[in-house]
Amino acid sequence: MSEIKIQMKNISKVFETEEMETHALKDVNLTIKAGDYVSISGPSGCGKSTLLGLLGLLDMPSGGEYFVEGVNVSSLSLNEAAEVRNSKIGFVFQSFNLIDEISVFDNIALPLRYRKDKLNTQEIEQRVNKCLELVSMTHRSKHKPNQLSGGQQQRIAIARALVNEPAILLVDEATGNLDSNTGDQIMDVLDELNQKGTTICMVTHESRYADRATTQLKLLDGAILTTPELTSCSALQYV
Amino acid sequence: MKHSSYQLKQAWAGLSVRKGFLVTVVSTLGITLGALLCILTLAYVVIVKPLPYSNQNNLYQLNANLFNDKKEMMAASFTYPSLIHLYENQSVFQQSALVHYGEGVISSLPTQPRVKSTFVTPDWFKLVDSKIEMGRLFEESENKETFNPVAILTYSTWKNTFGADSNILDKTILISGTNFRVVGVLSQSFIEPELNGVGIKTDIFLPWDYNPTNEQVRNSWGQIDQNRRFVGMLDTDLSNNQIEQSLTPLVSDKWQENVAGVEFFSGWYIEMELLPFKKAILGDSQNSVLLLLAGMIGLVLIACANITNLFMSRTAEQHRQLAIQAAVGANKSHLFYTLLAQSGLLVFLSIIVALFVANAGFWVLQHYLEQRMPRVDELAINAVTLGAALLIALLLGLFFARLSTSLVNYRALNSVLQSSGKGTGIQVSQNVRKLLVVSQVAIVTVLIFVNLGLARDSLKIINTPMGFETENITSLTVSFGASGEFSEEEIAAMLAELKSKFKDLPQVDSVSQSLAPFGFLGMYAQTIQATQERMVVETRPVDNAYFSMLNQPLIEGDFFTQSDVQDRNLLLIVNDVYADKIAPQGSALGSKIEMGNSEYTISGVVKGIQMPAAADIPMRAYPVSRVTRTWFMLKLKPQQRLSREQVVSVLEEVNGRIDLMELGSLDNQKVQLLFTQYTTAITSVVLAVLTFFMASIGLFGVVNYTTQMRRFELGTRLAIGAKRADLIGLIVKDNAGAVGIGVIVSVLILLGLSIGFSESLSSYITLQLIPLFVSTLMLIGIIVLYACYWPLRPIINAPPIYSLRNSE
Repeated sequence: MSEIKIQMKNISKVFETEEMETHALKDVNLTIKAGDYVSISGPSGCGKSTLLGLLGLLDMPSGGEYFVEGVNVSSLSLNEAAEVRNSKIGFVFQSFNLIDEISVFDNIALPLRYRKDKLNTQEIEQRVNKCLELVSMTHRSKHKPNQLSGGQQQRIAIARALVNEPAILLVDEATGNLDSNTGDQIMDVLDELNQKGTTICMVTHESRYADRATTQLKLLDGAILTTPELTSCSALQYV
Repeated sequence: MKHSSYQLKQAWAGLSVRKGFLVTVVSTLGITLGALLCILTLAYVVIVKPLPYSNQNNLYQLNANLFNDKKEMMAASFTYPSLIHLYENQSVFQQSALVHYGEGVISSLPTQPRVKSTFVTPDWFKLVDSKIEMGRLFEESENKETFNPVAILTYSTWKNTFGADSNILDKTILISGTNFRVVGVLSQSFIEPELNGVGIKTDIFLPWDYNPTNEQVRNSWGQIDQNRRFVGMLDTDLSNNQIEQSLTPLVSDKWQENVAGVEFFSGWYIEMELLPFKKAILGDSQNSVLLLLAGMIGLVLIACANITNLFMSRTAEQHRQLAIQAAVGANKSHLFYTLLAQSGLLVFLSIIVALFVANAGFWVLQHYLEQRMPRVDELAINAVTLGAALLIALLLGLFFARLSTSLVNYRALNSVLQSSGKGTGIQVSQNVRKLLVVSQVAIVTVLIFVNLGLARDSLKIINTPMGFETENITSLTVSFGASGEFSEEEIAAMLAELKSKFKDLPQVDSVSQSLAPFGFLGMYAQTIQATQERMVVETRPVDNAYFSMLNQPLIEGDFFTQSDVQDRNLLLIVNDVYADKIAPQGSALGSKIEMGNSEYTISGVVKGIQMPAAADIPMRAYPVSRVTRTWFMLKLKPQQRLSREQVVSVLEEVNGRIDLMELGSLDNQKVQLLFTQYTTAITSVVLAVLTFFMASIGLFGVVNYTTQMRRFELGTRLAIGAKRADLIGLIVKDNAGAVGIGVIVSVLILLGLSIGFSESLSSYITLQLIPLFVSTLMLIGIIVLYACYWPLRPIINAPPIYSLRNSE
């Protein structure tokens, strides 16, 4: 049986303002195992990005329990959460989120600089180059992100997400800012990574990309829909 | 015009909904520009503005500089006969006058007010363009040796002391036993040249003949009095040097001729010095004004840097609105005028506030620095102030408008609308941000360092032990009617009775018939008999109770006894500095000192005392005081006070013709002597604190802006695992370079100042400044750390999703 990478139990997220409460997620249960390729899709405002934010420990749930590789991370301090993000999670953003002032190499190396167990320069170089190779961007390592095309920038973002060898790669609308051709190329990269063993959880609103995932989840009004086709998905447990 | 009015209305509408921005800019700029306008006006009055006399360039005070045989200058004043000789025999000055500054009591008024009386010859009023409110000025019939007792009141004396009595003319007032008939009141617009010291103003002008110089001094060629002046107007093609050379023999030869029989003055001579009125009145105050001006400019620069930052944020905020204007056809110059309307309105409002602040500053200067800064009573909003205000307003308005315009990328405005308003599109360049940090750090380091240095020096002087006690000691001086009204025996008897009555007062613990240590010291020519060395020594006659009352320590010998005072024994107590001069190897006790044709024996040595703000302890000698001295020191019992009325009532019990000239505690006198140091300490600390806070706000603003601009990047870093400490370190590191450059620039500025003002600053530049500079850097470090950390708090203390989401 495959190792469980991610497990959410009854996770909810409520956004409160002075006037109202908005239930963005309601009792979400989710399990992702090693090697899974999960897509989350749904209409705008259904809670996709909120769910991905919680999965990536970018935000904290209002209720429920969340485990990463068996460790309960539901109520970590900000610094502890940062450490988990750094070591266990790779995040790919829709708008790439690269830092324009530093080179491609340094962008990819950035997560390594925040590691608890520091690496030496040689190790950093090896890891960054390996990731650059994975996304076929070795020749652009000295460039600045704003000298690259959107697709190239997203490849770099993927490389940065992988550099710490995370337990899971979380991808938020990775093709949202790209034309269809470039988007396809990025999806090819993700497919290839999954084939090589990387666990991926991806948010997308494009069904043709969602279909590439081995497991497809649909969200509506903050809850995962129970559909017949989903039950066949070994990676998913839902209530 | 119509369009301008529309733009101003639009600008006001925009600003009125951003009250925080409006109030911050107007108050910061208003207060700092107000302070600048105040000091700028002061600088104009002190440095540029002509004196209010039509012949101001030709008016001079003539000094007689007395040199000893070693060519050391011993005094810069006339002996009485020298002054009269010069007045009667000189032919260089077209017009000249004699002036004697004195004090008296108007005994004919029930309150017996103490007044500053100035004794002048008639031409004095012509020299300084005196105008009258009523009556007349002195005439030839009131010239020297006419003994015509008339008086002219100044406007403020007429108003405050005589209640603006419209029938004051021909009334008589009794001063020092003489009835003077009032013949005139000076105009309110008359400004007296303050030749006797800053802020010292005459209350009543009296004829020269009545100056309170006694007969002995009037005929003495060896006694110098600093209260006398010779002033005149030149109308000649000769240079000042030529005039000085022509006058020197007139005075010096006559003086040498008259002191030829006095061995002490052998080899001494006089050199005349022409001092322009402006220099005599202003002294070295121009440097103080320039330093104040530099400090104020520094503060205004900090304020402008802060406001620049606010304008950048405001422009970023307005970007979408500007984009809409561009979309409907506004070109670049339209946008410039839109932004100029806003900055112009803000600067205009700030200038209005600034003029009020400047006016308040004038009031403060006139009330608190009247005795320290010349011509402050001439401060008022004038054409220079208004001109400077308008110029500053114009420059700042244009600068802020130009700055805001430069931040707007006109070509990229469309993309703002196309991206549905996401992102501001405005990024202030890193260089501009760095420049702001560098300038703030450089200015604040210099200002805080200089202010802390000034405060430290002032506090050091204030806290320097004087070597004697002042607590509960009150000094008073009395006078006995007109000169010659009482015989010496009568005065001695009345003083003895007074002393006894003072002792009997329940508040009084002990009495000394001596002048308080802060009072004027005589400079006496003395010769050490053993070595025949001649010198001029500060000399203060004291009685048997003086030293014990002040708790001034006796090193060897004895204090005077009651019988020493009664018998007028020729004994001398000297301080340790003088004793070392008299007998460098052994004891000075028993040594003989010749003074005024008498031989004194040293009977005691006391520890030297240091006067407040004095640089060192000079040689001092204390002979036995005569019983006719009209000075007292009263040691009061703890918690006791003695009012002027109580003292006057004691004086009246003895004799109604005794006037109370002066009454005050030694503690107050000490504070007055240290007024400059207290003012400097308070002002510099206030300026340092103000600078610190303004810099904190400014640096916070710049770093906060930078941090907000980097919110998305910081969120990304958090998302990939950066911890709080990582981000704090990142922001500190990113600003450290600019801070370092700022510190280097400040060091260069300080070095430039120390080289440029090396003469006046030489005594301040010591190794002790290093810890002070380190302390300043630590303060700057605290500001920078605060400025780096505080804006980061909302980012690092919340889950990263907030930074990422809010930035999109």
